[in-house]
Amino acid sequence: MSKLRGKVAIVGIGEVPTGRFPEKAAIYHAMESAKLAIKDAGINKDHIDFVMPTAALYSPQFNTELVTCRVAEELGLKNAKTNCQIFAGGSSGSCFLKLGGSIIETGVADYVLCVHADRLGTGVTAQGGIDLFSTAGISAEWEVPFGQHYSTIAALTTTRYQYETGCTDEQMAAVCVSNRKWAELNPNARFRKPLTIEEVMESKMLSTPLRAKQSNMLFDGGSAFILTSAERARDITDRPVYLLGEGSRVTHFVFSQEPDITRFGWRDAAKDAFGEAGLTPKDIDVAEIYDSYPVYQVIGMEELGFCERGEAGELHMRGDTWPGGKLPTTTNGGMLSQGHTGAGGGVALLVEAARQLMGKAGERQVPGARFAVETGTGGTYMDAQVSILGTEIP
Amino acid sequence: MDTPKKPAPIVNDWARPFWEAARDNRLILQQCVDCGKHIFYPRIACPHCFSDNVEWVPASGKGTVYSYTVVETNAPSAFMNDVPYVVAVVKLDEGVQMLSNIVGCDPAEVRCDMPVEVTFEKLDDEFTLPKFRPS
Ligand SMILES: [Zn+2]
Repeated sequence: MSKLRGKVAIVGIGEVPTGRFPEKAAIYHAMESAKLAIKDAGINKDHIDFVMPTAALYSPQFNTELVTCRVAEELGLKNAKTNCQIFAGGSSGSCFLKLGGSIIETGVADYVLCVHADRLGTGVTAQGGIDLFSTAGISAEWEVPFGQHYSTIAALTTTRYQYETGCTDEQMAAVCVSNRKWAELNPNARFRKPLTIEEVMESKMLSTPLRAKQSNMLFDGGSAFILTSAERARDITDRPVYLLGEGSRVTHFVFSQEPDITRFGWRDAAKDAFGEAGLTPKDIDVAEIYDSYPVYQVIGMEELGFCERGEAGELHMRGDTWPGGKLPTTTNGGMLSQGHTGAGGGVALLVEAARQLMGKAGERQVPGARFAVETGTGGTYMDAQVSILGTEIP
Repeated sequence: MDTPKKPAPIVNDWARPFWEAARDNRLILQQCVDCGKHIFYPRIACPHCFSDNVEWVPASGKGTVYSYTVVETNAPSAFMNDVPYVVAVVKLDEGVQMLSNIVGCDPAEVRCDMPVEVTFEKLDDEFTLPKFRPS
Protein backbone atom coordinates (compact mmCIF):
# COMPACT_ATOMS: atom_id res chain seq x y z
CA MET A 1 0.00 0.00 0.00
CA SER A 2 1.33 3.39 -0.93
CA LYS A 3 1.35 6.78 0.76
CA LEU A 4 -0.29 8.54 -2.16
CA ARG A 5 -3.86 8.53 -0.84
CA GLY A 6 -5.32 11.96 -1.53
CA LYS A 7 -1.89 13.48 -2.25
CA VAL A 8 -2.00 13.78 -6.03
CA ALA A 9 -4.69 14.51 -8.59
CA ILE A 10 -5.42 14.42 -12.30
CA VAL A 11 -6.28 17.96 -13.39
CA GLY A 12 -6.48 17.67 -17.17
CA ILE A 13 -7.23 15.03 -19.80
CA GLY A 14 -6.86 14.84 -23.56
CA GLU A 15 -7.65 12.23 -26.18
CA VAL A 16 -7.85 11.92 -29.94
CA PRO A 17 -10.38 9.68 -31.71
CA THR A 18 -9.39 6.05 -32.15
CA GLY A 19 -9.27 4.81 -35.75
CA ARG A 20 -7.19 4.38 -38.88
CA PHE A 21 -5.45 7.57 -39.94
CA PRO A 22 -2.86 6.75 -42.61
CA GLU A 23 -2.08 10.44 -43.12
CA LYS A 24 -1.29 11.08 -39.45
CA ALA A 25 2.08 10.30 -37.88
CA ALA A 26 2.01 8.73 -34.41
CA ILE A 27 3.71 11.79 -32.95
CA TYR A 28 0.66 13.82 -33.99
CA HIS A 29 -1.59 11.72 -31.73
CA ALA A 30 0.85 12.25 -28.86
CA MET A 31 1.12 16.01 -29.36
CA GLU A 32 -2.57 16.61 -29.95
CA SER A 33 -3.55 14.54 -26.87
CA ALA A 34 -0.97 16.37 -24.75
CA LYS A 35 -2.10 19.76 -26.04
CA LEU A 36 -5.74 18.94 -25.23
CA ALA A 37 -4.76 17.79 -21.72
CA ILE A 38 -2.82 21.00 -21.01
CA LYS A 39 -5.72 23.15 -22.27
CA ASP A 40 -8.21 21.05 -20.31
CA ALA A 41 -6.20 21.63 -17.14
CA GLY A 42 -6.20 25.35 -17.88
CA ILE A 43 -2.57 25.65 -16.84
CA ASN A 44 0.29 27.44 -18.54
CA LYS A 45 2.18 24.87 -20.65
CA ASP A 46 5.41 26.08 -19.04
CA HIS A 47 4.29 24.70 -15.69
CA ILE A 48 4.92 21.17 -16.99
CA ASP A 49 8.29 20.14 -15.59
CA PHE A 50 8.18 16.37 -16.15
CA VAL A 51 7.22 14.66 -19.41
CA MET A 52 6.42 10.97 -19.14
CA PRO A 53 5.61 9.27 -22.47
CA THR A 54 4.84 5.57 -22.93
CA ALA A 55 6.77 3.52 -25.44
CA ALA A 56 5.07 2.68 -28.73
CA LEU A 57 5.06 -1.01 -29.56
CA TYR A 58 4.81 -0.36 -33.27
CA SER A 59 7.36 2.28 -34.13
CA PRO A 60 11.00 2.23 -32.94
CA GLN A 61 11.52 5.57 -34.73
CA PHE A 62 8.64 7.07 -32.77
CA ASN A 63 10.09 5.73 -29.52
CA THR A 64 13.36 7.47 -30.32
CA GLU A 65 11.47 10.72 -30.83
CA LEU A 66 9.63 10.31 -27.54
CA VAL A 67 12.72 9.63 -25.46
CA THR A 68 14.55 12.47 -27.15
CA CYS A 69 12.05 15.11 -26.08
CA ARG A 70 10.20 15.71 -29.33
CA VAL A 71 6.91 16.27 -27.48
CA ALA A 72 8.55 18.76 -25.12
CA GLU A 73 10.11 20.69 -27.99
CA GLU A 74 7.13 20.57 -30.37
CA LEU A 75 4.82 21.90 -27.66
CA GLY A 76 7.42 24.37 -26.42
CA LEU A 77 7.48 23.11 -22.82
CA LYS A 78 10.19 25.54 -21.80
CA ASN A 79 10.48 24.45 -18.19
CA ALA A 80 10.63 20.71 -18.78
CA LYS A 81 13.34 19.37 -16.48
CA THR A 82 12.92 15.66 -17.10
CA ASN A 83 11.70 13.57 -20.01
CA CYS A 84 11.50 9.85 -19.25
CA GLN A 85 9.72 6.99 -21.00
CA ILE A 86 7.62 4.56 -18.97
CA PHE A 87 6.33 1.29 -20.35
CA ALA A 88 4.40 -1.62 -18.87
CA GLY A 89 2.19 -2.53 -21.83
CA GLY A 90 -1.50 -2.31 -20.87
CA SER A 91 -0.50 -1.36 -17.33
CA SER A 92 1.27 1.79 -18.46
CA GLY A 93 -1.63 4.05 -17.43
CA SER A 94 -1.72 2.66 -13.89
CA CYS A 95 2.07 2.91 -13.72
CA PHE A 96 1.94 6.55 -14.89
CA LEU A 97 -0.35 7.25 -11.99
CA LYS A 98 1.75 5.67 -9.26
CA LEU A 99 5.12 6.78 -10.64
CA GLY A 100 3.99 10.28 -11.61
CA GLY A 101 2.21 10.53 -8.28
CA SER A 102 5.35 9.52 -6.36
CA ILE A 103 7.45 12.04 -8.25
CA ILE A 104 5.02 14.79 -7.32
CA GLU A 105 4.56 13.73 -3.71
CA THR A 106 8.33 13.64 -3.16
CA GLY A 107 8.75 17.09 -4.72
CA VAL A 108 10.77 15.97 -7.73
CA ALA A 109 8.23 17.59 -10.06
CA ASP A 110 5.18 19.84 -9.86
CA TYR A 111 3.29 18.96 -13.04
CA VAL A 112 3.73 15.65 -14.84
CA LEU A 113 2.49 15.23 -18.41
CA CYS A 114 1.65 11.56 -19.07
CA VAL A 115 1.08 10.82 -22.74
CA HIS A 116 0.49 7.79 -24.90
CA ALA A 117 0.15 7.37 -28.65
CA ASP A 118 0.61 4.51 -31.06
CA ARG A 119 -0.29 3.56 -34.57
CA LEU A 120 -1.36 -0.07 -34.50
CA GLY A 121 -4.22 0.47 -36.95
CA THR A 122 -2.18 1.72 -39.88
CA GLY A 123 1.35 0.84 -38.83
CA VAL A 124 0.86 -2.89 -39.39
CA THR A 125 -1.19 -5.04 -41.79
CA ALA A 126 -3.93 -7.33 -40.46
CA GLN A 127 -1.74 -10.45 -40.73
CA GLY A 128 1.23 -8.37 -39.57
CA GLY A 129 -0.75 -7.56 -36.44
CA ILE A 130 -1.45 -11.25 -35.81
CA ASP A 131 2.23 -12.04 -36.28
CA LEU A 132 3.32 -9.13 -34.08
CA PHE A 133 1.00 -10.35 -31.32
CA SER A 134 2.24 -13.94 -31.65
CA THR A 135 5.64 -12.72 -30.43
CA ALA A 136 5.22 -9.45 -28.48
CA GLY A 137 5.53 -10.36 -24.81
CA ILE A 138 5.21 -14.08 -25.58
CA SER A 139 8.09 -16.35 -24.58
CA ALA A 140 10.26 -17.06 -27.64
CA GLU A 141 11.50 -20.26 -26.04
CA TRP A 142 8.45 -21.73 -24.32
CA GLU A 143 5.35 -20.50 -26.17
CA VAL A 144 6.01 -19.00 -29.62
CA PRO A 145 7.02 -22.42 -31.07
CA PHE A 146 3.60 -23.84 -30.15
CA GLY A 147 1.58 -21.25 -32.07
CA GLN A 148 0.58 -19.11 -29.10
CA HIS A 149 -0.80 -15.63 -29.71
CA TYR A 150 -3.09 -13.23 -27.89
CA SER A 151 -6.28 -14.85 -29.20
CA THR A 152 -5.17 -18.25 -27.89
CA ILE A 153 -4.21 -16.70 -24.56
CA ALA A 154 -7.68 -15.14 -24.21
CA ALA A 155 -9.26 -18.40 -25.40
CA LEU A 156 -7.29 -20.46 -22.84
CA THR A 157 -8.50 -18.13 -20.10
CA THR A 158 -12.09 -18.28 -21.36
CA THR A 159 -12.15 -22.08 -21.70
CA ARG A 160 -10.98 -22.68 -18.14
CA TYR A 161 -13.07 -19.84 -16.69
CA GLN A 162 -16.26 -21.16 -18.30
CA TYR A 163 -15.36 -24.72 -17.23
CA GLU A 164 -14.98 -23.66 -13.60
CA THR A 165 -17.89 -21.22 -13.35
CA GLY A 166 -20.49 -22.32 -15.90
CA CYS A 167 -20.52 -18.85 -17.49
CA THR A 168 -22.17 -19.26 -20.91
CA ASP A 169 -21.09 -18.14 -24.37
CA GLU A 170 -24.07 -15.75 -24.43
CA GLN A 171 -23.04 -14.16 -21.13
CA MET A 172 -19.52 -13.68 -22.48
CA ALA A 173 -20.94 -12.12 -25.65
CA ALA A 174 -23.03 -9.79 -23.47
CA VAL A 175 -19.82 -8.08 -22.32
CA CYS A 176 -19.18 -6.97 -25.91
CA VAL A 177 -22.77 -5.77 -26.22
CA SER A 178 -22.54 -3.81 -22.98
CA ASN A 179 -19.29 -2.10 -23.94
CA ARG A 180 -20.74 -1.26 -27.36
CA LYS A 181 -23.72 0.50 -25.74
CA TRP A 182 -21.22 2.87 -24.13
CA ALA A 183 -19.21 3.29 -27.34
CA GLU A 184 -22.40 4.36 -29.12
CA LEU A 185 -22.25 7.42 -26.85
CA ASN A 186 -18.50 8.03 -27.27
CA PRO A 187 -17.44 10.23 -30.21
CA ASN A 188 -13.83 8.99 -29.86
CA ALA A 189 -14.83 5.31 -30.19
CA ARG A 190 -14.12 3.40 -33.38
CA PHE A 191 -17.20 1.11 -33.25
CA ARG A 192 -20.47 2.95 -32.60
CA LYS A 193 -23.13 0.84 -34.32
CA PRO A 194 -25.37 -1.19 -31.98
CA LEU A 195 -24.26 -4.80 -31.48
CA THR A 196 -26.38 -7.83 -30.52
CA ILE A 197 -25.51 -11.07 -28.77
CA GLU A 198 -26.53 -12.91 -31.95
CA GLU A 199 -24.07 -10.89 -34.03
CA VAL A 200 -21.27 -11.74 -31.61
CA MET A 201 -22.23 -15.43 -31.58
CA GLU A 202 -22.38 -15.58 -35.39
CA SER A 203 -19.03 -13.87 -35.94
CA LYS A 204 -16.06 -15.89 -37.16
CA MET A 205 -14.57 -18.38 -34.70
CA LEU A 206 -10.92 -17.46 -34.04
CA SER A 207 -9.72 -19.85 -31.32
CA THR A 208 -12.48 -21.72 -29.51
CA PRO A 209 -14.53 -20.37 -27.76
CA LEU A 210 -13.30 -16.90 -28.79
CA ARG A 211 -15.03 -15.26 -31.76
CA ALA A 212 -13.98 -12.31 -33.92
CA LYS A 213 -16.36 -9.85 -32.28
CA GLN A 214 -15.00 -10.84 -28.87
CA SER A 215 -11.55 -9.71 -29.90
CA ASN A 216 -10.26 -6.18 -29.56
CA MET A 217 -9.17 -4.54 -32.80
CA LEU A 218 -5.96 -2.56 -33.21
CA PHE A 219 -6.13 1.12 -34.07
CA ASP A 220 -4.24 4.40 -34.02
CA GLY A 221 -4.88 6.71 -31.11
CA GLY A 222 -3.55 8.67 -28.21
CA SER A 223 -4.48 10.04 -24.82
CA ALA A 224 -2.85 12.10 -22.11
CA PHE A 225 -3.35 13.48 -18.64
CA ILE A 226 -1.75 15.96 -16.27
CA LEU A 227 -0.89 15.08 -12.69
CA THR A 228 -0.13 17.51 -9.92
CA SER A 229 -0.30 17.71 -6.14
CA ALA A 230 -3.71 17.72 -4.47
CA GLU A 231 -2.95 21.15 -3.05
CA ARG A 232 -2.16 22.73 -6.42
CA ALA A 233 -5.07 20.86 -7.96
CA ARG A 234 -7.53 22.57 -5.61
CA ASP A 235 -6.22 25.96 -6.75
CA ILE A 236 -6.78 25.30 -10.43
CA THR A 237 -9.99 23.25 -10.56
CA ASP A 238 -13.21 22.66 -8.63
CA ARG A 239 -13.11 18.96 -9.45
CA PRO A 240 -9.65 17.49 -8.95
CA VAL A 241 -9.59 13.75 -9.50
CA TYR A 242 -7.65 12.43 -6.52
CA LEU A 243 -5.73 9.19 -6.47
CA LEU A 244 -7.24 7.46 -3.43
CA GLY A 245 -5.72 4.03 -3.54
CA GLU A 246 -3.66 1.71 -5.64
CA GLY A 247 -2.72 -1.94 -5.45
CA SER A 248 -0.94 -4.31 -7.75
CA ARG A 249 0.60 -7.73 -8.20
CA VAL A 250 2.90 -9.25 -10.81
CA THR A 251 2.00 -12.94 -11.20
CA HIS A 252 3.81 -14.23 -14.29
CA PHE A 253 5.66 -13.42 -17.49
CA VAL A 254 5.12 -16.62 -19.51
CA PHE A 255 1.34 -17.06 -19.70
CA SER A 256 1.41 -20.83 -19.05
CA GLN A 257 3.25 -20.19 -15.77
CA GLU A 258 0.26 -18.32 -14.29
CA PRO A 259 -0.93 -20.50 -11.39
CA ASP A 260 -4.58 -19.47 -11.80
CA ILE A 261 -5.54 -18.30 -15.29
CA THR A 262 -9.09 -17.63 -14.10
CA ARG A 263 -8.13 -15.22 -11.30
CA PHE A 264 -4.61 -13.74 -11.71
CA GLY A 265 -3.56 -11.24 -9.00
CA TRP A 266 -6.68 -9.08 -8.97
CA ARG A 267 -8.06 -10.04 -5.55
CA ASP A 268 -4.94 -9.06 -3.60
CA ALA A 269 -4.33 -5.96 -5.73
CA ALA A 270 -7.91 -4.81 -5.15
CA LYS A 271 -7.71 -5.47 -1.42
CA ASP A 272 -4.75 -3.12 -1.18
CA ALA A 273 -6.34 -0.46 -3.38
CA PHE A 274 -9.73 -0.44 -1.62
CA GLY A 275 -7.99 -0.68 1.75
CA GLU A 276 -5.90 2.39 1.06
CA ALA A 277 -8.88 4.33 -0.28
CA GLY A 278 -11.06 3.31 2.67
CA LEU A 279 -13.78 2.32 0.24
CA THR A 280 -15.52 -0.89 -0.83
CA PRO A 281 -16.87 -1.90 -4.25
CA LYS A 282 -20.32 -0.70 -3.07
CA ASP A 283 -18.98 2.89 -2.99
CA ILE A 284 -17.86 2.81 -6.62
CA ASP A 285 -19.94 4.75 -9.15
CA VAL A 286 -17.98 3.85 -12.30
CA ALA A 287 -15.81 0.80 -13.02
CA GLU A 288 -13.31 1.07 -15.86
CA ILE A 289 -12.19 -2.54 -16.25
CA TYR A 290 -9.45 -3.68 -18.65
CA ASP A 291 -11.31 -5.45 -21.44
CA SER A 292 -8.96 -6.50 -24.22
CA TYR A 293 -11.18 -9.60 -24.35
CA PRO A 294 -14.51 -10.07 -22.54
CA VAL A 295 -13.23 -12.70 -20.11
CA TYR A 296 -10.77 -10.24 -18.57
CA GLN A 297 -13.54 -7.75 -17.83
CA VAL A 298 -15.59 -10.54 -16.23
CA ILE A 299 -12.69 -11.82 -14.11
CA GLY A 300 -11.71 -8.27 -13.16
CA MET A 301 -15.18 -7.41 -11.90
CA GLU A 302 -15.49 -10.60 -9.89
CA GLU A 303 -12.06 -10.52 -8.33
CA LEU A 304 -12.42 -6.83 -7.46
CA GLY A 305 -15.53 -7.83 -5.52
CA PHE A 306 -18.36 -6.29 -7.56
CA CYS A 307 -20.16 -9.65 -7.57
CA GLU A 308 -19.64 -13.31 -6.74
CA ARG A 309 -17.44 -15.47 -8.96
CA GLY A 310 -19.40 -16.64 -11.98
CA GLU A 311 -21.94 -13.80 -11.80
CA ALA A 312 -20.34 -11.03 -13.87
CA GLY A 313 -21.58 -12.44 -17.17
CA GLU A 314 -25.14 -12.17 -15.93
CA LEU A 315 -24.61 -8.54 -14.82
CA HIS A 316 -23.77 -7.71 -18.44
CA MET A 317 -26.80 -9.66 -19.71
CA ARG A 318 -29.31 -7.92 -17.49
CA GLY A 319 -27.96 -4.43 -17.99
CA ASP A 320 -26.33 -3.54 -14.66
CA THR A 321 -23.19 -2.56 -16.57
CA TRP A 322 -25.00 -0.59 -19.32
CA PRO A 323 -25.66 3.14 -19.54
CA GLY A 324 -28.24 3.82 -16.83
CA GLY A 325 -27.37 0.58 -15.02
CA LYS A 326 -26.44 0.07 -11.37
CA LEU A 327 -22.77 -0.45 -12.12
CA PRO A 328 -21.66 1.52 -15.19
CA THR A 329 -18.68 -0.44 -16.50
CA THR A 330 -15.99 0.37 -19.08
CA THR A 331 -17.84 3.50 -20.09
CA ASN A 332 -15.69 4.53 -23.08
CA GLY A 333 -16.53 1.21 -24.78
CA GLY A 334 -13.14 -0.19 -23.88
CA MET A 335 -10.68 -1.89 -26.17
CA LEU A 336 -13.56 -3.99 -27.51
CA SER A 337 -15.38 -0.95 -28.93
CA GLN A 338 -13.37 2.26 -28.55
CA GLY A 339 -10.47 0.26 -29.97
CA HIS A 340 -7.12 -1.03 -28.76
CA THR A 341 -4.19 1.33 -29.23
CA GLY A 342 -1.57 -0.84 -27.50
CA ALA A 343 -0.47 0.50 -24.14
CA GLY A 344 -3.09 3.18 -24.74
CA GLY A 345 -6.01 0.84 -24.09
CA GLY A 346 -5.23 1.13 -20.39
CA VAL A 347 -4.37 4.84 -20.54
CA ALA A 348 -7.72 5.51 -22.25
CA LEU A 349 -9.56 3.71 -19.42
CA LEU A 350 -7.78 5.85 -16.86
CA VAL A 351 -8.57 9.02 -18.83
CA GLU A 352 -12.21 7.86 -19.01
CA ALA A 353 -12.33 7.33 -15.24
CA ALA A 354 -11.07 10.90 -14.77
CA ARG A 355 -13.46 12.21 -17.43
CA GLN A 356 -16.45 10.67 -15.64
CA LEU A 357 -15.37 12.07 -12.28
CA MET A 358 -14.76 15.52 -13.80
CA GLY A 359 -18.30 15.42 -15.21
CA LYS A 360 -17.00 15.79 -18.77
CA ALA A 361 -18.32 12.54 -20.29
CA GLY A 362 -21.10 14.14 -22.33
CA GLU A 363 -23.91 11.83 -23.36
CA ARG A 364 -22.48 8.94 -21.41
CA GLN A 365 -21.90 10.88 -18.19
CA VAL A 366 -22.74 8.85 -15.10
CA PRO A 367 -24.71 11.38 -13.04
CA GLY A 368 -22.97 12.47 -9.86
CA ALA A 369 -20.06 10.04 -10.16
CA ARG A 370 -17.77 10.50 -7.16
CA PHE A 371 -15.65 7.35 -7.02
CA ALA A 372 -14.20 5.26 -9.83
CA VAL A 373 -11.97 2.21 -10.12
CA GLU A 374 -9.64 1.60 -13.04
CA THR A 375 -7.71 -1.57 -13.85
CA GLY A 376 -4.78 -2.26 -16.13
CA THR A 377 -2.77 -5.31 -17.05
CA GLY A 378 0.22 -5.69 -19.34
CA GLY A 379 1.86 -8.31 -21.50
CA THR A 380 0.11 -11.67 -21.25
CA TYR A 381 -1.95 -10.43 -18.24
CA MET A 382 1.27 -10.57 -16.24
CA ASP A 383 0.12 -8.07 -13.65
CA ALA A 384 -2.98 -6.75 -11.95
CA GLN A 385 -3.04 -2.99 -11.41
CA VAL A 386 -5.96 -1.41 -9.56
CA SER A 387 -6.37 2.34 -9.05
CA ILE A 388 -9.14 4.07 -7.15
CA LEU A 389 -9.95 7.68 -7.94
CA GLY A 390 -12.41 10.13 -6.44
CA THR A 391 -13.56 13.73 -6.43
CA GLU A 392 -13.29 13.82 -2.66
CA ILE A 393 -10.99 12.27 -0.08
CA PRO A 394 -13.18 10.02 2.11
CA MET B 1 1.18 -16.37 -49.50
CA ASP B 2 4.18 -18.56 -48.66
CA THR B 3 4.07 -20.00 -45.18
CA PRO B 4 7.15 -18.92 -43.26
CA LYS B 5 9.25 -21.51 -41.45
CA LYS B 6 7.99 -22.53 -38.00
CA PRO B 7 9.62 -20.50 -35.25
CA ALA B 8 12.26 -22.55 -33.43
CA PRO B 9 12.74 -21.98 -29.71
CA ILE B 10 15.22 -19.20 -28.96
CA VAL B 11 17.16 -21.12 -26.36
CA ASN B 12 18.51 -19.72 -23.13
CA ASP B 13 21.86 -21.29 -22.38
CA TRP B 14 20.84 -22.85 -19.06
CA ALA B 15 17.85 -24.54 -20.71
CA ARG B 16 19.98 -26.34 -23.29
CA PRO B 17 19.83 -29.75 -21.51
CA PHE B 18 16.02 -29.67 -21.82
CA TRP B 19 16.18 -29.30 -25.60
CA GLU B 20 18.99 -31.83 -25.96
CA ALA B 21 16.88 -34.39 -24.08
CA ALA B 22 13.79 -33.51 -26.13
CA ARG B 23 15.81 -34.24 -29.27
CA ASP B 24 16.29 -37.77 -27.84
CA ASN B 25 12.53 -37.95 -27.10
CA ARG B 26 13.04 -37.56 -23.36
CA LEU B 27 11.22 -35.06 -21.14
CA ILE B 28 13.37 -33.79 -18.31
CA LEU B 29 12.76 -31.16 -15.66
CA GLN B 30 14.88 -29.39 -13.12
CA GLN B 31 14.40 -30.37 -9.48
CA CYS B 32 15.66 -28.42 -6.49
CA VAL B 33 17.92 -30.56 -4.30
CA ASP B 34 17.22 -28.38 -1.27
CA CYS B 35 13.43 -27.93 -1.32
CA GLY B 36 12.57 -30.88 -3.56
CA LYS B 37 10.26 -28.94 -5.87
CA HIS B 38 10.20 -29.52 -9.62
CA ILE B 39 10.96 -26.51 -11.78
CA PHE B 40 9.71 -25.59 -15.23
CA TYR B 41 10.75 -23.72 -17.29
CA PRO B 42 14.46 -24.11 -16.48
CA ARG B 43 15.92 -21.43 -14.19
CA ILE B 44 19.33 -20.26 -13.07
CA ALA B 45 18.25 -20.82 -9.45
CA CYS B 46 15.27 -22.42 -7.69
CA PRO B 47 12.38 -19.92 -7.96
CA HIS B 48 10.95 -21.32 -4.69
CA CYS B 49 13.88 -21.29 -2.24
CA PHE B 50 16.53 -19.55 -4.41
CA SER B 51 18.95 -22.46 -4.04
CA ASP B 52 21.60 -22.82 -6.75
CA ASN B 53 21.53 -26.55 -6.12
CA VAL B 54 19.20 -27.71 -8.91
CA GLU B 55 19.57 -30.89 -10.96
CA TRP B 56 17.98 -32.41 -14.05
CA VAL B 57 15.63 -35.37 -13.49
CA PRO B 58 13.41 -37.42 -15.83
CA ALA B 59 9.74 -36.37 -15.87
CA SER B 60 6.83 -38.81 -15.84
CA GLY B 61 5.53 -37.24 -19.05
CA LYS B 62 2.02 -37.55 -17.61
CA GLY B 63 -0.37 -34.79 -16.76
CA THR B 64 -3.75 -33.20 -17.42
CA VAL B 65 -5.08 -30.44 -19.65
CA TYR B 66 -5.44 -27.30 -17.51
CA SER B 67 -6.94 -25.38 -20.42
CA TYR B 68 -7.07 -25.61 -24.20
CA THR B 69 -8.24 -23.89 -27.36
CA VAL B 70 -8.69 -25.00 -30.94
CA VAL B 71 -7.20 -22.43 -33.31
CA GLU B 72 -9.54 -22.26 -36.29
CA THR B 73 -8.64 -18.95 -38.00
CA ASN B 74 -6.32 -15.94 -37.67
CA ALA B 75 -3.32 -18.15 -36.91
CA PRO B 76 0.19 -16.68 -36.97
CA SER B 77 1.61 -16.96 -40.51
CA ALA B 78 3.86 -19.94 -39.75
CA PHE B 79 0.87 -21.91 -38.38
CA MET B 80 -1.69 -21.13 -41.09
CA ASN B 81 -1.47 -24.59 -42.63
CA ASP B 82 -1.90 -26.26 -39.23
CA VAL B 83 -5.44 -25.12 -38.45
CA PRO B 84 -7.31 -26.50 -36.68
CA TYR B 85 -4.62 -27.05 -34.04
CA VAL B 86 -4.90 -27.28 -30.27
CA VAL B 87 -2.94 -25.01 -27.94
CA ALA B 88 -3.08 -26.18 -24.32
CA VAL B 89 -1.64 -25.49 -20.91
CA VAL B 90 -0.69 -28.89 -19.50
CA LYS B 91 -0.28 -29.51 -15.77
CA LEU B 92 2.34 -32.23 -15.30
CA ASP B 93 2.06 -34.72 -12.43
CA GLU B 94 5.24 -33.10 -11.02
CA GLY B 95 3.19 -29.94 -10.38
CA VAL B 96 4.59 -27.73 -13.12
CA GLN B 97 2.72 -26.21 -16.09
CA MET B 98 3.80 -25.95 -19.71
CA LEU B 99 2.35 -24.71 -22.96
CA SER B 100 2.12 -27.29 -25.72
CA ASN B 101 -0.12 -28.71 -28.41
CA ILE B 102 -2.52 -31.62 -28.00
CA VAL B 103 -2.05 -34.04 -30.89
CA GLY B 104 -3.13 -37.57 -31.78
CA CYS B 105 -6.86 -36.95 -31.42
CA ASP B 106 -9.71 -34.99 -32.96
CA PRO B 107 -9.34 -31.41 -31.64
CA ALA B 108 -13.05 -31.50 -30.73
CA GLU B 109 -12.36 -34.28 -28.20
CA VAL B 110 -10.03 -32.24 -25.99
CA ARG B 111 -11.43 -31.33 -22.56
CA CYS B 112 -10.24 -29.58 -19.42
CA ASP B 113 -8.65 -31.97 -16.89
CA MET B 114 -8.33 -34.69 -19.55
CA PRO B 115 -5.33 -36.98 -18.83
CA VAL B 116 -2.52 -36.66 -21.37
CA GLU B 117 0.99 -38.02 -21.93
CA VAL B 118 4.01 -36.62 -23.69
CA THR B 119 4.88 -37.41 -27.29
CA PHE B 120 7.58 -35.80 -29.41
CA GLU B 121 7.39 -33.99 -32.74
CA LYS B 122 10.53 -33.20 -34.66
CA LEU B 123 10.68 -29.59 -35.80
CA ASP B 124 14.05 -29.70 -37.60
CA ASP B 125 17.47 -31.30 -37.11
CA GLU B 126 18.10 -29.25 -34.00
CA PHE B 127 14.73 -29.16 -32.26
CA THR B 128 12.09 -31.64 -31.20
CA LEU B 129 9.04 -30.26 -29.38
CA PRO B 130 7.35 -32.07 -26.49
CA LYS B 131 3.65 -32.36 -27.29
CA PHE B 132 0.83 -34.23 -25.57
CA ARG B 133 -1.77 -36.81 -26.57
CA PRO B 134 -4.69 -38.35 -24.70
CA SER B 135 -3.57 -41.16 -22.34
ZN1 LIG C 1 14.23 -24.91 -3.95
